[in-house]
Amino acid sequence: MKKPILFVFILLTTILTGCIEIIDDLSFNADGSGTFKYSINLSSSKIKINSILALDSLDGKKVPTQDEIRTKIDEFQRKLMSQEGISGVEIESDFTNYMFKLKCDFSSASDLQTALKNVASNFAEGKNLEELKHNWITWDNATLSRSIPELTIDQTKKVKPEDIELLKQGSYTSITRFAVEVEKFDNPKAVMSKNKMAVMIKSDTYSLMEQTSILDNRIYLKK
Amino acid sequence: MKLIALFSFSLLLSTFATAQQSEDLIPKDAVTVFSINNFSVLQKVSLDELVNYEFMAEIQQELFDGSTHGKTIKESGIDFNQKLNVFYGKTFQYEVSGFTFGISNKEQLFTVFDDFQKEESKQAGVERYSSYFNQLIIKGSNALLIRVEPIEENINSITDSIWYSRGNDYPFYDFEFYDDYDGNAQERAIEEVEESEEFYEELIIEGDEAPIEAPESGFPEAEEINSKNYYELRDSVSYVLQEQHLMSVLEGLFQRNENLVKFDPRFKEQLAHESDGIFYLDNSRNLSRDQSFWYMKTMFPGLYQDIEQLYTGNVMLGDILLNDNNVQLKMDANYGPQLGSIYEELNDSKFDKNVLNYIHKDNSAYFTYNVNLRQAYDQAFKVIMPILEDEKNARISANVLAIELLDEFINKDALFGTYKGSMFGSFNGIQKVATRKIEFIYDEETFDYEEIEVEAVEDMPIFTLGFSTDRTDIPEKVLNRLSRITSRFENKGGYWMFEDAILDAAPLYFINAKGLFILTNDEDLVKNHVNGYGRNAISGKKAKEIKKNGFMYAEVDWANTIERLPKDIFTEKQNEVLEALRGKSGEMKLTTSKTTAEKTSFDLVYTFTGEYENSGKYILDFINSMYVLTK
Repeated sequence: MKKPILFVFILLTTILTGCIEIIDDLSFNADGSGTFKYSINLSSSKIKINSILALDSLDGKKVPTQDEIRTKIDEFQRKLMSQEGISGVEIESDFTNYMFKLKCDFSSASDLQTALKNVASNFAEGKNLEELKHNWITWDNATLSRSIPELTIDQTKKVKPEDIELLKQGSYTSITRFAVEVEKFDNPKAVMSKNKMAVMIKSDTYSLMEQTSILDNRIYLKK
Repeated sequence: MKLIALFSFSLLLSTFATAQQSEDLIPKDAVTVFSINNFSVLQKVSLDELVNYEFMAEIQQELFDGSTHGKTIKESGIDFNQKLNVFYGKTFQYEVSGFTFGISNKEQLFTVFDDFQKEESKQAGVERYSSYFNQLIIKGSNALLIRVEPIEENINSITDSIWYSRGNDYPFYDFEFYDDYDGNAQERAIEEVEESEEFYEELIIEGDEAPIEAPESGFPEAEEINSKNYYELRDSVSYVLQEQHLMSVLEGLFQRNENLVKFDPRFKEQLAHESDGIFYLDNSRNLSRDQSFWYMKTMFPGLYQDIEQLYTGNVMLGDILLNDNNVQLKMDANYGPQLGSIYEELNDSKFDKNVLNYIHKDNSAYFTYNVNLRQAYDQAFKVIMPILEDEKNARISANVLAIELLDEFINKDALFGTYKGSMFGSFNGIQKVATRKIEFIYDEETFDYEEIEVEAVEDMPIFTLGFSTDRTDIPEKVLNRLSRITSRFENKGGYWMFEDAILDAAPLYFINAKGLFILTNDEDLVKNHVNGYGRNAISGKKAKEIKKNGFMYAEVDWANTIERLPKDIFTEKQNEVLEALRGKSGEMKLTTSKTTAEKTSFDLVYTFTGEYENSGKYILDFINSMYVLTK
């Protein structure tokens, strides 16, 4: 869903193949502005991650050091902060439990989308740019459509069969919140909060990688 | 008369050519050699499989281009009546690797080595073919496939020298200062690189005529020569050095008649064994040719000579035997009298039978290591100190003084009583270990969420490592004090626990009892078997075998050990070794003889079980594993 984070997500799920928990939390105010939160929880794979980080390379790929990861995170934060319509960018990195949390405010959904695409494009260094043309979010103050680019399909094919079970233990939770009540939504897997102002969809990471449309949803607000 | 003389000379030459064997083409710089006598067992192995072995990595590029597809070694034109010798060596200037073999059908051979182009040979009676990476040298009915690589430090050093002498700035690479270089090789290389560049400069600068253009064979024009960037210059240096070193090896082999068989009579004698293969590793040259010794050689030549002498005779010689259901490596680690006297004292130790009580009879892999550090220390002091004392150098004298003072002041009874040197280790499989993780809890009303810490489990390989000790009071003191420093250290009654010690996530346990200090991450061992496995420990015939063994004993059940070891916890080098061993089933057992002043004998038996296509694969697997371990 959120392209740059998805890169990290794919990297982590395909390389670490351990349990990963992701929460993608998008809140809209009445004027279309809002807050975006993205949390990656790798605490259940602490041993695996620590052991990988202790290596120089794995399967021919260089393993980054904690400092290199911190530098990349800082770079991501700086680049996101410089995007138009984005403010209050905060990233919390917990290298004990391997929890990473991003929070930022946006003035409109399109600003958020453009900002994340710009940063992703910058980090991708020219790769997969075709996929960045995809719009994953459209919002007209009454209806919200969310989807995920199909970039994960190829990655799924690269996952070893023995790692598939591990991927099934991971989860991806997508939450969308509004200032008004939700009338209905299209995706039957989604559930509504009791206060009717939030919609949640949950999937295991393997199903999501196999079928990115599993989290697609159109949400209609009460007028 | 002339005709008779010519005929006699030709006969002499042909006799010499046929008398020469493939092993005569092994360069004298080779320090590791595997020689397969019973080569016929490899006939059924496909070339595709062969080129995938690690020991072929250096020389396999042109083989791995489709020309070998669907062919076996039998169809490669190789003579199976001769030995196949795989070698590797290192000097201060270059690394050399390759293999030598006999040729039965040259035409077939070049269907495999189809990328090689004939080159002019500077040695009479020798044909030279080259590909992008390697050289194929043929003399009579023998061939040498060889690769010579200059040492990277030397390439960098020479490149830097030329680069800076041209007034350039820092070349933006991981710079290290190398003061250990071969001055002559450097000068020769610098001269050659500059000569080749000047040649084209002169073509343009000299004379009033229009400049002659450099040929289009990749040489840059004169104006561009001086603007070579750092890495282009480095490539030139590397190429020139490679040619120089290759010529030096070939001149040695074919002009000065220098080869390993002549250079080392121990190797020659080993080759005469009637086993299926032999193994040779000259540790003394491996050590003395190590780059770190270059500094010592330059700065302290006397000391270097003494150290070299200390290691003289340090060579490992082995026989590979192909039996009905196993491959056996019988190996002697030989050493000179001085080093031998230290090893003899080191290995003069009574086996600590308490160790066996902590090795479960069903463990898939374990080892015992039984040495006497105190005696070895005393002997090493006697042997090494006189060598150091002779050196009239302030820095070494200061080190000698420090060693002597430490020897006087340190309580050696306490030190070597605490750590005697004997130890054991075991792999207890993969177990779930308790850790903690963060979970998100959602409020159904708003889908707001909060984090909570909960118990979790993760897979972890379980290891146990133990040391024999006469002074259990000393580790106990350390543990007690550590528990005052951090609450993560806790006495659990009978054992100690250090929380999150392993990878910041899993506990490490300590058992300090029965003359043993044990470290383990095996929760079952500390909670249920803190006094040992009792009836489930190794006992009976196996225990007797271990006790009467030399300084080391090890057993590994491949199927239950190697396949279960996760890649993540090992370094790249360790993973290379493991990868070479993966996919096999059977058992490997290492036993050792009693150590004498001359040698220690090792016996490694790899017994395989199950269905086998051909035993050739197993010998290659075995060679590959040994190659990865020793390279």
